[in-house]
Amino acid sequence: MSDDTLIIYEEEINKIESLMTRMLKGAEAKCALLVDKDGHLITRQGFTHSLDTTALAALLAGSFASTKEIARLVGEPEFSVLFHQGKKDHIHMSLVGERSILVVIFDDRTTIGMVRLYAKETAVELATIFEQVMAKSNPKTQQGISNEFADMAQDKLDDIFHD
Amino acid sequence: MVSINYSSREVCCKIVYYGPGLSGKTTNLQYVHSKVPGNTRGDLISLATEADRTLYFDFLPINIGTINGFAAKFQLYTVPGQVYYNATRKLVLRGVDGVVFVADSQPDKLDENIESLMNLQENLEEYGYNINELPLVIQYNKRDLPGVMSIEELRAKLNPEGRPDFGASATVGNGVFDTLKMIIKLVLDRAKSAGGAESQIKSQSVEAQPVKPEPEQPARPYPAASPQSTHGDAASAGVSGGTAVSTPPPTAAQEPTPVNIAASESGTQPPSGGSYPSASPARQTVDTDAAAEPKKEEPTAAAYRPFPGSRDESSPRKITPTAFAPAQPSAEGDASYERNVLKSETPSGGSGPAGLGSPGMAPPLRRRAHKKKRGFFKRLFGIK
Repeated sequence: MSDDTLIIYEEEINKIESLMTRMLKGAEAKCALLVDKDGHLITRQGFTHSLDTTALAALLAGSFASTKEIARLVGEPEFSVLFHQGKKDHIHMSLVGERSILVVIFDDRTTIGMVRLYAKETAVELATIFEQVMAKSNPKTQQGISNEFADMAQDKLDDIFHD
Repeated sequence: MVSINYSSREVCCKIVYYGPGLSGKTTNLQYVHSKVPGNTRGDLISLATEADRTLYFDFLPINIGTINGFAAKFQLYTVPGQVYYNATRKLVLRGVDGVVFVADSQPDKLDENIESLMNLQENLEEYGYNINELPLVIQYNKRDLPGVMSIEELRAKLNPEGRPDFGASATVGNGVFDTLKMIIKLVLDRAKSAGGAESQIKSQSVEAQPVKPEPEQPARPYPAASPQSTHGDAASAGVSGGTAVSTPPPTAAQEPTPVNIAASESGTQPPSGGSYPSASPARQTVDTDAAAEPKKEEPTAAAYRPFPGSRDESSPRKITPTAFAPAQPSAEGDASYERNVLKSETPSGGSGPAGLGSPGMAPPLRRRAHKKKRGFFKRLFGIK
């Protein structure tokens, strides 16, 4: 399992992003993030400039993971949808396939029903794209990073990490 | 699991600091956070109890910079060390690329260290990882305290396999960066060896295709190219760096795909706040237009494939993203969008936002109709 590096190519990201944009426009939400269950941000759409999306991704994945444990304790395999209601902004999270989470942030200009409807449709379409992504990277053609990249990264470490 | 994103050009690795409670995992992160330049790190996020004990995890993103066109990012996590937080501890380990085990050097903490190390092994196994294959660095922390066990003793108990280990005192920072550099090195080495087949793929793809990707290659729909050649191409273009930058521009130049638009939208225009308020009147306008001429939308609607049931003509609440429409030449649907928007804007006479035009138009129309009627009755009954 530890070897299944997630590699996403331009082609798939383009498809994913266009689906997310369509969803945002349809549901009139503010922004959407696609987050790996491990806490990595895959992509984002909408107005995310004011957000620390890296931290957001890690925290959202964390909260999703914790509800999975809660689900297990009450005898459910997994809660597939999670909703946080705030005073102005709300967050809707839904599971995409096996390993990603679609996060939609919206406010009172739309309704939870609209967001749910569009997120559900989009999640299904995204899941099929992710199946293709996994099918692509599963065969023996498993790739990592190049030697050159690793070496150069290590050279940089000394510059950055010093007391 | 190293995540490589060819679109945002990122390589992302997850490193978890593990160890018994109060061994100094969070302190490690705090030291890194305080010493690393601000442009290299993000904020340190700590999900802690009121007594400053880690409740879920601490999180510190580090970006060591762009290498070969790819941003190398490392996400440092800590786990809650206390025994009864095992459920959350396990969750943090999901998708981990490397582990730093922070051990407490005090003699009375030895059992806790051993227990925690065994717990790490168990939790990793639940995710299908093998502790012997995963990059693991051991840090003997709190070396500055009096009466601590010697490194040799600790090594014999905690590290009989001879993994890389360091003595450290995280409060003053000794050994913190050594540990971090070592774990990053191991993670990258492992990612490198995992990609052993890559060089072959790269050479294959270079033979099969010119080094510079054909312009239409990336824009082609999904199943066009054989998966292997696409792979190799992307790999050589991306990570090896030579042609990294040449991949996206052809896409942009060749065909304005929805994503490029979306990116520019989110990047340059900040219209979210501005466009929302006018969205609902504009929507109504387009509704009436679409209702008046449903024929025009029919062919494109099929091509655009809206969500089933939500955007068809008969739907009572029709949502059309008018605010975005002029800037949205999405491959198939833009023609109809533009038509709609133009139509909605024409009656308003350009006097204001598109949405405000139509409600302003309605009263005169009604008045005229009313006048006509009165004239008719006047004429009918001969009233002057």
